[in-house]
Parts: sequence; C-alpha cells; structure tokens
Amino acid sequence: MLNKEAVLEIILRALQNLNDELGDDEKFEAGPNTPLFGPNATLDSLALVSVIVDVEGDVSTALGRSISLTDDRAMSQEISPFDDVQTLLNYIMILVNEG
Amino acid sequence: MNDTVKLDGEFVTLRLMRVDDAALTFSWRQAARARLLNAGAANVEQQAAWIASRPGSEYNFIIELKDGRAIGMLSLVGINKINRHAETGRFLIGDEEAAKGVPAAVEAMKLLYEFAFDKLDLIRLHGTVASGNPLMVKWQKYLGMKEEGRMRSHYFIDGKWQDAVVLGLLADEARTQSFPRMNALIAAARRSHA
Repeated sequence: MLNKEAVLEIILRALQNLNDELGDDEKFEAGPNTPLFGPNATLDSLALVSVIVDVEGDVSTALGRSISLTDDRAMSQEISPFDDVQTLLNYIMILVNEG
Repeated sequence: MNDTVKLDGEFVTLRLMRVDDAALTFSWRQAARARLLNAGAANVEQQAAWIASRPGSEYNFIIELKDGRAIGMLSLVGINKINRHAETGRFLIGDEEAAKGVPAAVEAMKLLYEFAFDKLDLIRLHGTVASGNPLMVKWQKYLGMKEEGRMRSHYFIDGKWQDAVVLGLLADEARTQSFPRMNALIAAARRSHA
C-alpha cells in the first residue's frame, strides 16, 4: 500500500521532471504547497498534462493497477484535484485507499 | 474558403490570423519555448509577408482568451478532401503567463479537432513534433495522438539534428479518447475558476 509520503514523493518527482524540461525562464519552485492549475496557478495545461502523465504512471506502477486522474470521477470532485499539490495528493489517496 | 471561420470555446476562441498579428506572433517566436519549433521569419516584416501569403486552403488560427487577449497560435494545413486528412501544426502558446491555470492549449486543440472531424468531415489528422520537445510529444499522446513513426534527423533545431516524431489521430480515437480527457481538464479549470 502506498502511503501519503510516497505519493507526495511521486508528485514532487513529476514536478521536478517537468522543471527539467522547461527553459530557464520557465522553471518554478516545486514543493508540497505549490499551486498547480487552480488560483495563482503555476502551470499551464501543457505542463499540467506532463505532471498527470508522470503521476498516473508512477502511482499505477506502485499500486499494480491503473488509476486515471482525468475520468468522470475526477471531474465530479467538488474541489479540483489539480488546484495544488495537496488537492492532488488528497485525491490520489482516495484512489489508493480504495484498493 | 476560410475567411469567416471562428471557433468558440468556454475559455478560448480561435479566430483566423491576420497580417496585423505579425508583430505579436513574431514576438512569440522569439520566446524560449519556441526554440523547439522550426525556424520562422527573421523580422516582423517577414512575418507579415508570411501571414499575407498563406493560401486560402489553410486555417491559421490565433488563440484568444475570452477577454480578447491573443495568447497563441495553431494551424490546420494540408487539407486533403479526397483522402479526408489534414495536418495540425504551428502550435505555440506565446503568452505563457496568461495561459497559467487556463486550459487554453487543451481547449484550442479540442476546438481544432472538432472543426476537423465534425465540420470538415475529416477522418484523420497528423503532425510532427521534434524529438527534442518531449513535453509536447507527451502532451499529444496523452490527448489521443498515436506515434506512427520517426523521420530521422529531420529538423535542425536548437543547434542539433532532431528526429521528427510522426503522430496521428483518427476521428473515432478523438471521440473516445481525446475529447473525454480534454473535457476533464476543461472541467477541472471550470471548477477552479468558479
């Protein structure tokens, strides 16, 4: 079972991967409270998809089953999973704990 | 053929590029992210001449936010009505700050796909991305494009030879894979902006 710390590490690694691909004037500070795609957003939708791909892949591998962050359920959340690192972490933990 | 086309979405509108967009689009081409595109015009005058010389068979769009700010560009070219395919390209978000937290790239591409498959009745879109632009390759694949091959050392970009990653999308794949994911990202932004 993935714990919260491990999932946070996956998210931060995805943000670091993104930073590695961005030009020097596009890099951002990645941490547990980084806003993602909500108010005061750090990411545009090109960057957000990169994070989603990496996180979905790493969490699915660690869990041994596929998860999706862009299905009907994710859309129906009262708070968008993509607002910031914490909302993404909380949503993934819901998916993890269902296993 | 294309002088009246305007595609309206929830967050962005695609309107046709005009010659008076030359200065703005040229400035976008000088930005860091554009280093991964093919070389463009050398100055604003060349950019204006390039825009003016676009054939009527091409759809070269400017991506505008709903407040009218132009933030990027996107094209549909090489339209073949017999074989019902076309090429997407010239895709660039020029004003990256304005696009943060807004599903501008996703909705712009969704509008283009809908236009191609629903209005023009095409069955296939394709495009190429330089192999040195893995973010764009990843983005296109997640939103439905399939890698169909590589043209080796096809581009000289950013000081080195790069492969062209050939990507393709069929109409039914757009409807079953691309649009649901695009809609999810648009919905997420809608909630955040509510």
